[in-house]
Amino acid sequence: MDIPAMRANFAKAAATGDEAPLYFYSHLFLSHPETRQMFPVSMAHQRDRLFSALGDVVARVDDVDALVPILQQLGRDHRKFGTLAAHYPAVGASLLATLEHFDEHWSPELAKDWSEAYTLVAEVMTLAAGEAAHEPAWWEADVVGHERRTIDIAVLQVRPRAHYDYLAGQSVSLESDLRPRLWRYYSPANAPRPDGLIEIHVKARDGGPVSSALVRQVGVGDVLRLGPPIGHLALDPESDRDLLLIAGGMGLAPMKALVDQIARKGPPRRVDLFIGARNEDQAYDRADVRRLEREKPWLTVTYAVSDDKLSSLEQGNVGEVVMRHGPWLSREVFIAGPGPMVSDTETRLEQAGGPRQRIHSEVFAPSRPGPSLDLEVTE
Amino acid sequence: MTNAQSGSESVERRLTPADLQSLRFTRAAMLRPGYVDTEVDRVMSRLAEELSRHITEKSALRDRVRALEAALEGAVEGAAVPQPPSEQALRILSAAQQTADNYVAEAEEFSRQMTSEARALYEEAVRQARENAGAILQAAQEAAAKIGGGITVAPRSDEQRSVAELQEQVAYLRTFGQAVRVQLRSYFEALISDVETEWGRADPAALPQAVARPALPPGQETGGGSGATFVGNTAAESRSDADADVGPPATAGSRSST
Repeated sequence: MDIPAMRANFAKAAATGDEAPLYFYSHLFLSHPETRQMFPVSMAHQRDRLFSALGDVVARVDDVDALVPILQQLGRDHRKFGTLAAHYPAVGASLLATLEHFDEHWSPELAKDWSEAYTLVAEVMTLAAGEAAHEPAWWEADVVGHERRTIDIAVLQVRPRAHYDYLAGQSVSLESDLRPRLWRYYSPANAPRPDGLIEIHVKARDGGPVSSALVRQVGVGDVLRLGPPIGHLALDPESDRDLLLIAGGMGLAPMKALVDQIARKGPPRRVDLFIGARNEDQAYDRADVRRLEREKPWLTVTYAVSDDKLSSLEQGNVGEVVMRHGPWLSREVFIAGPGPMVSDTETRLEQAGGPRQRIHSEVFAPSRPGPSLDLEVTE
Repeated sequence: MTNAQSGSESVERRLTPADLQSLRFTRAAMLRPGYVDTEVDRVMSRLAEELSRHITEKSALRDRVRALEAALEGAVEGAAVPQPPSEQALRILSAAQQTADNYVAEAEEFSRQMTSEARALYEEAVRQARENAGAILQAAQEAAAKIGGGITVAPRSDEQRSVAELQEQVAYLRTFGQAVRVQLRSYFEALISDVETEWGRADPAALPQAVARPALPPGQETGGGSGATFVGNTAAESRSDADADVGPPATAGSRSST
């Protein structure tokens, strides 16, 4: 395989911006009309994602050890879109047609190399998808509770119809019939419960099609579809080190799940939970968090508001407030929230001498359509 | 030249590698050294014929293979793709898709503007209401104080005074409790930190490196030099962190790309 030639060829297609993906999808839908219904109405984001994903694969094509696990995860994850093994050759044919269309120096050698490379990629993905075949491709879940907590935040209780396994701290992709084919990631706010209920916190993003539908339109009795869980914030089952949990905004959900896991499974330890919000109004889950604090003697909760001078809660950015309460050098630290909040808090903890390997964090972007090739669920 | 002679008799038979290996030319007459010219010429011309026949045969076969390969490919694709879509169809569909995308994007943008404006109005209204409420409350308190004339020595009903006193006491106790908690917390943190340091002394290998860091003089911590190494540390550590968790290291490029 002549990888430099393939990269040069791919660069030509990628350099056309939107043209090449547009050509690719038109080619795919015209030659295989049945694949159109697997995609959302608006293809704008999809086009960006396809070529950046392909670019990542091309960039790593000589690092098979790194590429294979990524492709396997992609293959498993594509099952929820209804992708079948039969779809892979169709995509391959359209991909080759696209690469040929945008390269005046297209040669039979290039065609052969690309077709070999694609066959390999498709094989890894279909194999991984096949290995996951004992699991459903997606889980239907009934909405059994829907509470509007603020003007734009809702707390949903959903119950999957079949057993759904995940770990506290992971994220779940979900889709609603109101916005077909748009999958977004959300973090359950509880550890797996015997009754299967999952608590989902949703903030309606301005103009966000999925989040606003989940907050304003979905109600009890509606059905959501869940994809397999993904993500990496997780407690070390071997450790009983005391915890420092720091949540910014909607990052509260995975932190609450970690607290719930300790309450259910232990081992017992001290847990300090800091929750940052812009103002008191945005501290949407206070009643339930206070209930947890009352019930669990090992849990201490501190709320911080960054932009609410009238509030009786602690004033300041959550990172600032955390440092006000101690150096926390001995704690295992988990942080989830918006990007700036996460990096600010990390920096403060590290400057105080906190060991980096004990700080775990996840950035919660406002919209999380899917994992990148790095399996980050951020946008 | 037994072999060559039998070869020349049956012209239609092909020349084989074995024929050439066993070929022996007859020595020419004493006056002229070497082989008999005619025999050599005859064999050479037969070899040339053979070679050209091979070449044409080979190219015919290559054409055939190509044709068959193309037919096979067509058959494989043909099972799924009846025929590649025409350029015109591709253009029409692409334009239609782009139009649809633009409408959706416009709708989303419109909804984004509407909601963010509505939210700003809402937040402003709530903020003003809270401020007003605060001001009214304050005015009421001032009025009450004025009516009362003095602070605590003024004649009041017992009930009012005891409520005020209780409130004061509650506030005092709350602050006191807060202070005690903060003190206790820092005491315990120091204790834990001590324990870890002791543990580190007993088994320095088991001690996380960063715990040893505060032992440095404070001047060194804030020095410009250590700031530079700190940045390096973070980068290295964040990479190892991502490794340990799910898999491949996060590259900045793809993090923002999808």
